[in-house]
Amino acid sequence: MRLTVKITFAVLLGVALIFSAYSYFSIQREREQLKINLSREARHIGESLRYVVKELWQQRGKDVAINFLQKANQEYTQTLVRWVWIEGEIPQKFQPRVPVEQLDDLFNEETVALLAGSPEGGDFLLTYLPLLTEEGRIGAIELSESMDEMHDYVQESLRRSAIVIGVSIGSALLFMGALGSIWIDRPMRKLRAQAERIGTGDFTTSVNLPGGGEIAELSSTIERMRGQLAEAREAEQIANNEKIEALEKLRHTERLATLGQLSAGIAHELGTPLNVIAGRAKLIRSVGMEPADISRSATIIGEQADRMTGIMRQLLSFARRGKSQKQAVDLNVVLRGIQPLLEPTAREQGIDLAIEETEQPLPVFADPAQLQQVLLNLTLNGIQAMPTSGDIILTSCHPSTVEVPENIEGKDASWVCLQICDQGTGIEPENLRQIFDPFFTTKDIGQGTGLGLSIAHGIIEEHGGWIEVSSTIGEGSCFSIYLPETPRGKLV
Amino acid sequence: METVCLDIHPHILLAEDDPELLELLTIVLLRAGYQVTGCDNGSQLLEQLEQVESYDLVISDLRMPALSGLQVLESQFDNPFCPPFICMTAFGDEETHATARRFGAIAIIDKPFDLDDMVELVQMTFSGKNKHIYLRGVDHEHV
Repeated sequence: MRLTVKITFAVLLGVALIFSAYSYFSIQREREQLKINLSREARHIGESLRYVVKELWQQRGKDVAINFLQKANQEYTQTLVRWVWIEGEIPQKFQPRVPVEQLDDLFNEETVALLAGSPEGGDFLLTYLPLLTEEGRIGAIELSESMDEMHDYVQESLRRSAIVIGVSIGSALLFMGALGSIWIDRPMRKLRAQAERIGTGDFTTSVNLPGGGEIAELSSTIERMRGQLAEAREAEQIANNEKIEALEKLRHTERLATLGQLSAGIAHELGTPLNVIAGRAKLIRSVGMEPADISRSATIIGEQADRMTGIMRQLLSFARRGKSQKQAVDLNVVLRGIQPLLEPTAREQGIDLAIEETEQPLPVFADPAQLQQVLLNLTLNGIQAMPTSGDIILTSCHPSTVEVPENIEGKDASWVCLQICDQGTGIEPENLRQIFDPFFTTKDIGQGTGLGLSIAHGIIEEHGGWIEVSSTIGEGSCFSIYLPETPRGKLV
Repeated sequence: METVCLDIHPHILLAEDDPELLELLTIVLLRAGYQVTGCDNGSQLLEQLEQVESYDLVISDLRMPALSGLQVLESQFDNPFCPPFICMTAFGDEETHATARRFGAIAIIDKPFDLDDMVELVQMTFSGKNKHIYLRGVDHEHV
């Protein structure tokens, strides 16, 4: 609506200006014309009077002539006629209405017509007709006509012009308002609603405005845009669905692969003890067994069953790691906590266990028990990798530069690090890639199931962090655990 | 390592890293009337094969520390005097079986297996020499 109002105002302003100018000039012209007419009339009368006055003056004397002029006013008051002197000693009675200086032309015996204001405020048209008297003194017949009539006429013209302008502005406003609403506002509202619908992603409604104007063009442009957007969205949806499908397939394949790996691991881990148990049972059943042998077979069956139970437990803890009980903890406290647990094992193997922690606390939001499990796993691995004596160093630190792996969220987070470095045998480069796979182990049978690192990896990943490994054959391995730091204030 | 000498009986070299299974197999094969030498890793197996040339049969686990059974088998592929190999594996997938067979194993037996099956397999090996027999898994129903 605002656009219509603006256009209407602009148009009306122009019309009003033109109309006003026209009125002004025509009134001016009429006024001029009126003045000329009046002046001519006055001169006409004046000429007649001058003739009569001149005759009277010659035949009957000065006083009769002036009296005649005074009498002329009695019948007709619209035009006042007087005798005036313009030369010599002028009594008040015969003083012209305007100063004598303005009447110079009278001395050349020419008629003078001019407009003058009266002290009462009215305008007069003054016409002076010169008359040379017998004594040689110049006088004049003064005809003064009030211009009030003309003013009234001009006023009336002005009033009519104003009314015409007012009425035309009013009717134009109504007319333009109605037409603007039909031609502009209504289609604009439709287009706006359509644009808003498209904006919210609703591409179903079609809006086509008839006609060939700009608005119809805009409407067909929006319509084309709607079609293109709808197509683009459809294509995107199809692509998206395909992507999801592909991802789903990939995940399924991964699940199958993990399942296969797990099955193979379980088969291997349980196959051997099962074999021993079945064999020992058969031995017990067979003829000619010494009681001592039978007893030994029974013991072995028990041991193998225990071994399998152990494997099952580890598998279960791997399968349902459970929900972690996260809280704000200081990594240094966790680090200190595992020292007494590891000290006996380390001492037994002649290994020095050193802990280097930061002075400042390293707050993380984590499950302390799970973190402890990870640390125990990694440190025990380190101890087992050192058949002879050596050092294991557990360090907590605030790394200055961190290369965040691509799959980790929160690239801008602040990271804290725990390092477990041993001086063991190191990890073969070709094994480095597999060490976090479930059931991958290089240890002898019965020494490890290959689940420890896999569990550690899962726990740290679940905490939003990752584990990095660097290893040199013959020199040792270094496991670095990265976890996101929590703001210091939250530390309990 | 344990060597039992019964000169007239075939000599079997047994390699298995699980001590319990090694002991059990040794007992069973001895009771079946064979000479048995046991070793608990791949490098010992290779050492035995290279130093002593009087073995009639090798029974080896495929996955062992130091050297795997498969690696030993591979290394003996072009040795004409190498005794026949029977392989034991817990990873009974097709690929492992095919690889072992390609390297010349006469039989592959999946863990866990019935000890009687193993003895039967050994007996079959000695009665029908050079015949390749492949046992897949443990088929208890036929025992």
